[in-house]
Amino acid sequence: MMKCRRVKKLLPLYVEGDLGSNQAESITAHLDWCGQCNWLADEYKESQNWLRTNQAPEFDQAFLDSFKSTVMRRVEESAVRPSLLASIAQQLSRRQVLAMSGAMLIAIGMVLFYIYQTRLSVKLPRVETAKQIPETERAPGDVPKVNVDDSQENPSVPNKHSRHQPNQKTHKPAPMANLEEPPLFSQVNRWNELGTTNEVAVTPRDLKDDSTEMLRIEIQTADPNIRIIWFTPKIADGPQTNQ
Amino acid sequence: MPYEVAQIALMTDNLGLCDSPSNSVAPSLTLLIERAKAGEPAAFEQLVDHHQRKVLSTAWRMLGNREDARDAAQEVFLRVHKYLKSFRTDQEFAAWLYRIVVNVCRDHARKHGYRHQFASFESERDAGAFEELVSNEDVETNAIRSQERALVAQALATLSNKERAALVLRDLEGLSTKEVAQALGSTQTTVRTQISSARAKIKLYRDRALNRARRG
Repeated sequence: MMKCRRVKKLLPLYVEGDLGSNQAESITAHLDWCGQCNWLADEYKESQNWLRTNQAPEFDQAFLDSFKSTVMRRVEESAVRPSLLASIAQQLSRRQVLAMSGAMLIAIGMVLFYIYQTRLSVKLPRVETAKQIPETERAPGDVPKVNVDDSQENPSVPNKHSRHQPNQKTHKPAPMANLEEPPLFSQVNRWNELGTTNEVAVTPRDLKDDSTEMLRIEIQTADPNIRIIWFTPKIADGPQTNQ
Repeated sequence: MPYEVAQIALMTDNLGLCDSPSNSVAPSLTLLIERAKAGEPAAFEQLVDHHQRKVLSTAWRMLGNREDARDAAQEVFLRVHKYLKSFRTDQEFAAWLYRIVVNVCRDHARKHGYRHQFASFESERDAGAFEELVSNEDVETNAIRSQERALVAQALATLSNKERAALVLRDLEGLSTKEVAQALGSTQTTVRTQISSARAKIKLYRDRALNRARRG
């Protein structure tokens, strides 16, 4: 036996015969004895009849003829004016279309290859030469220092000496502004502008020969906060040095 | 002559597309569609001729006014012409057509909103867009009818787009729940839920309108 609550929920569907036979029979049986639900069902039926008073107006023949002619005119216009791609395709033979498609594919492939190569080259490590500070300027017992920047001559740039062991990962927190810049290459100069560092200490082992120049290799890892700085004696056939 | 056969069949048979939906595409209609697909303008004109009244009235009920209904119906036939080649004859043409009508009306309502401001009876008659009313019919009766129509349209305006589409197709266009589900691209259960909710809202609106009228 259905309860009134359930019947009231199903009445909107019941009045138009949208329920299955089992549910409809149960509701019919309920309506036989429940006056309130019966009254509600009548209300729904009246509401549905009222809704059907919304008959769409009859369209006269003149209106329909005008409508049809407008539709046909617009259809013809749309047929006369094909899309740009379709009009190009119509003028070309099938072989030409295939050739153009192939050319476009090759062009897209070349562009993609160029982008790939460009991104690859950005990730290559930078090789930079560093000038060694003459040993006479060093304090006794102090480790040799290597100047990596020409801006040392500018007295307005403060020098902060940080010591690093060569051949070892250097964890240097990047300034917040550098996070938005392209990796690595602009950062050394950026640091120098900020005066955070322009001298790097190396061990005497690296300066055992009389060479006055060292190679400084910086490798930026994926983490912007981690940079590997590697000092090595300059090779005679190596890259150009900055005097 | 296949063209004449199709024409006679359309004129004499009830294909279920103009007045009531059909469960299958009749052979004569299939022939007409095939010819329209082949690019024969006369065949497409026949299709328009036999469905325009239904499309216009459905759009009118969905959008609430004549101007929007006319614009939407034109767009419907343009889409029919554009996508007719993708129509398969094993599909139901009525459901396919109603689906386009519903989509176009939904797009139109999204752009312009549901404008339920009905033109008054006089303006409708003066515009000459509708059939001339019988001369001996009481003007007062027509005015009341026009008012009722406007009230129903306002009630329909309280529904969501999906509820309105389901209710119009089921209760006003007379489609079955299955056909409505096909036209709307949803399940029968969803359609039943939408219809149930819509009927309850319409009843509520009518009750309030009656209460206001009694107080007034």
